[in-house]
Amino acid sequence: MSRPPANLLLGGALVALAALAALVSLVWTPFPHAALDVANKFAPPSAEHWLGTDQLGRDLVSQLMVGAANSLAVALAAVALGGGLGTALGLAASAMGGWVEDLAMRICDLGFAFPALLFAIMLAAAFGPSLANAALAIAFINVPVFARVARGAANQVWVREFVLAGRAAGRSRLALTLDHIVPNVAAAVIVQATIEFAVAILAEAALSYLGLGAQPPSPSWGRMLAEAQTLLWIEPMLAIWPGLAIVVTVLGFGLMGDGLRDLADPRLVRER
Amino acid sequence: MLQATSLSVRLPAGEALRGVDLSLAPGERVGVVGESGSGKSMLGLALMGMTPASARLSGRLTLDGRDMTRARERDWRALRARRIAMIFQEPMAALNPLRRVGTTVMEPLRVRLGLTRAEAGARALALFNEVGLPDPADRLRQYPHELSGGQRQRALIALALACDPAILVADEPTTALDAEVAARIVDLLVRLSRDRGMALVFISHDLAAVARATERLVVLYGGDVVERGEVGAVLADPRHPYTRGLIAARPRPAPRAPGAPRPRLAAIPGSVPPLADLPAGCRFAGRCPVERPECAARRPAPRPTPHGLAACHLLEEGAP
Amino acid sequence: MLLFLLRRTVGFLATLLAISVIVFAVMNLLPGDPALTVLGIDSTEDARAALRAQMGLDRPAAERFLAWIGGALVGDFGTSWSFGVPVAGLIAERLPLTLSLAASGMVVTLVVALALGMAAAANHRRPGDWAMMLLSQLGIAVPAFWLAILLVLLFAVTLRWLPPGGFPGWGEPAAAASSLILPTISLALVQSAVLARVTRSAALEAMRLDFVRTARATGLSPARILWRHVLPNALAPIVTIVGMQFAGVVTGAIVIENVFYLPGLGRLIFQSIANRDLITVQALVLMFAAIVVAANFLVDVAYVLIDPRLKARAT
Ligand SMILES: Nc1ncnc2c1ncn2[C@@H]1O[C@H](COP(=O)(O)OP(=O)(O)O)[C@@H](O)[C@H]1O
Ligand SMILES: [Mg+2]
Repeated sequence: MSRPPANLLLGGALVALAALAALVSLVWTPFPHAALDVANKFAPPSAEHWLGTDQLGRDLVSQLMVGAANSLAVALAAVALGGGLGTALGLAASAMGGWVEDLAMRICDLGFAFPALLFAIMLAAAFGPSLANAALAIAFINVPVFARVARGAANQVWVREFVLAGRAAGRSRLALTLDHIVPNVAAAVIVQATIEFAVAILAEAALSYLGLGAQPPSPSWGRMLAEAQTLLWIEPMLAIWPGLAIVVTVLGFGLMGDGLRDLADPRLVRER
Repeated sequence: MLQATSLSVRLPAGEALRGVDLSLAPGERVGVVGESGSGKSMLGLALMGMTPASARLSGRLTLDGRDMTRARERDWRALRARRIAMIFQEPMAALNPLRRVGTTVMEPLRVRLGLTRAEAGARALALFNEVGLPDPADRLRQYPHELSGGQRQRALIALALACDPAILVADEPTTALDAEVAARIVDLLVRLSRDRGMALVFISHDLAAVARATERLVVLYGGDVVERGEVGAVLADPRHPYTRGLIAARPRPAPRAPGAPRPRLAAIPGSVPPLADLPAGCRFAGRCPVERPECAARRPAPRPTPHGLAACHLLEEGAP
Repeated sequence: MLLFLLRRTVGFLATLLAISVIVFAVMNLLPGDPALTVLGIDSTEDARAALRAQMGLDRPAAERFLAWIGGALVGDFGTSWSFGVPVAGLIAERLPLTLSLAASGMVVTLVVALALGMAAAANHRRPGDWAMMLLSQLGIAVPAFWLAILLVLLFAVTLRWLPPGGFPGWGEPAAAASSLILPTISLALVQSAVLARVTRSAALEAMRLDFVRTARATGLSPARILWRHVLPNALAPIVTIVGMQFAGVVTGAIVIENVFYLPGLGRLIFQSIANRDLITVQALVLMFAAIVVAANFLVDVAYVLIDPRLKARAT
């Protein structure tokens, strides 16, 4: 009927750009991302190296592309894992009700005491830093977020007539959850997932910047910035591109989340 | 003192007021009646220079001889509270819930009149006394949620009186209150108007309250003044079919539970249409029991009646 | 009121206890051998066993937890494995810097966000409003550490007005303050983008309330109405977000300290990770989590102070 909101279109375009770079990097990059070419270090942008090379002569575009793949993979893993667990937890809490629900939500409250960074620090200290641990830490903080969203949405469905009718007919809570609750909370969960994608990409960048994420030689936007920071006096542009890549991707998911929310709940559009 | 001449307020949706004439002399008390949606509040807001930002004013509005029709917000601000003040429909919501009512009443005294805290406190106490709040010193320290509906309304009246206005617009000051409290608020407003020589615009759909409170009556429908005149005479001998309907439909003075639907006007089926759907001619066309074919298209001019004016085609060319 | 405070305090302490259990469990009970990480895979089993005994790792976990938490209660977090001095001393030395950074970051966040958010609300549906929304949308997408790098590039590398990093110590207050300027800005701007949006929508909500019309009818100036009447009534959602943002500012300080080489708790945590100094990391994680929980506890109490209606109910 009506046109999709502008923020959804713009956000989708930015996300598509990042996703395309990530996908293409799986089969092709202009240069092998880790290929050293010290003779050609700090090369300016050219037909060959579109954005130039870094301090070791590595092609910047190639690194950014593989960085996109790493970043999106971490975000996808973290949101899928944390979102899946959290949603299941929230749905179960809502279906059981009573003290189970109270307990589950209390546990979620505890989760909010640990920002992703703290959790990643714990994991890195216990197991050593790695991209997988970063993903795990981000997934962990997603669990309570999704549990709350799913429970809140599910609680609203449990009191609707068609569900009450199902209960009266003696259908099990699991069957009702699968038949009625899941389809009705899907919108809220998808909107949240889009927003959490943005959060996850920011978190991954920060963790990799701190050395708690991607380890050399695997490129990551955050780690590229950490290296570029020491070279600010020599080649400032190295600190620009990875940052822009992060902003574009995060902005894309943020706009997309806003747009999806507007679609899912038109009543909110007025006020934003 | 206040003079509205052919004052119109046009909103994006339609005309909320159409050519309203109204004049107020010092100390005079005028009642404004009409169903919900007739434009009573809009008239009150127009007199305060507080119509919505999207509204366009035309006609002429003068206050103390100054033309305020196109006045800027800054000029209006100087007059509000000091020359003309208004109390609004819902006493619960009209007070800042996070402030002690004393603080609220002292604020204009300090900000507008430049009184010190002590002076403002003393004035607020006197005002609370004047509006008949019991234990005024204690009331000053209370929050709105700690007061009863009638007390809140009295506190709002005290706030409106703070800067000693020459005109007070009271928009349905009794609607949210039960009958006994309402009657006392009406008496209070009349007393204040007499004691202070303050003009009163009393907006209500309670005809009994208006009869008790005012001298002159303005009947509003769909943004038009359909009838006006001396209050007792108009109520005793209404000339406009809408006024007749209002009087016939007069709800019994039973207290209305808060939130209960407003009693329907039994004699006039339906309700005031939204602005966009008002007929171009007589606003009452479509609901009028004595409607003629030309009514919806042609606007009736006000005609003299024995006690004032009424705008109805039936009154033209000497109809009964 | 007292009962309410008591209940909240008990809840707060219970949360702290639960957090300490989680921290201890993650760092101690998950598979993994600290001795192995410290000594490396070339080490002999004997050497590792000796180290474990030295670290006290051979005792049962419950006993170690009780010893740890009992010590923590009296300010004894054990001895750092890498520095060889009490962890409490390490923390005490670095805490002032981190707290100063977090506090100044929070203050700037509040000032910027309230100013922008209220200005946007006052100019609802006008260009200023759109500009703020656009700017904040962008601000939310910018990683604080990248903003920090850009600020260093502009103010330290190009203009040379401010130091690119490092901390001269509190002995030189002026130099210390100037070395905190860029960290504070990087920490605050991103947070204020979020808070400005919340402020704007909360203010728009409050502006629709009837008493705002009453205030206008008494001839108060728009600015006075906005700050004295609208803002207090918009405060509840703002305070909620501020509580959450305090967590963001504190962990943000960990990152920002590393961008600017500031010797605070954030640097300490990373040095300890690099040194595999588990006992120090454990104490620091507990501290940060406790700060976050404390902030939320204070927010809960703040609600009641803001709204007299809640105060009545809380008694
Ligand atoms: N802010 C506004 N925007 C648009 N229409 C309005 C606004 N305020 C009032 N109206 C419309 O103007 C008409 C008169 O309203 P009002 O003055 O509130 O009536 P009353 O006070 O007599 O019940 C109604 O049709 C109402 O819907
Ligand atoms: Mg009204």
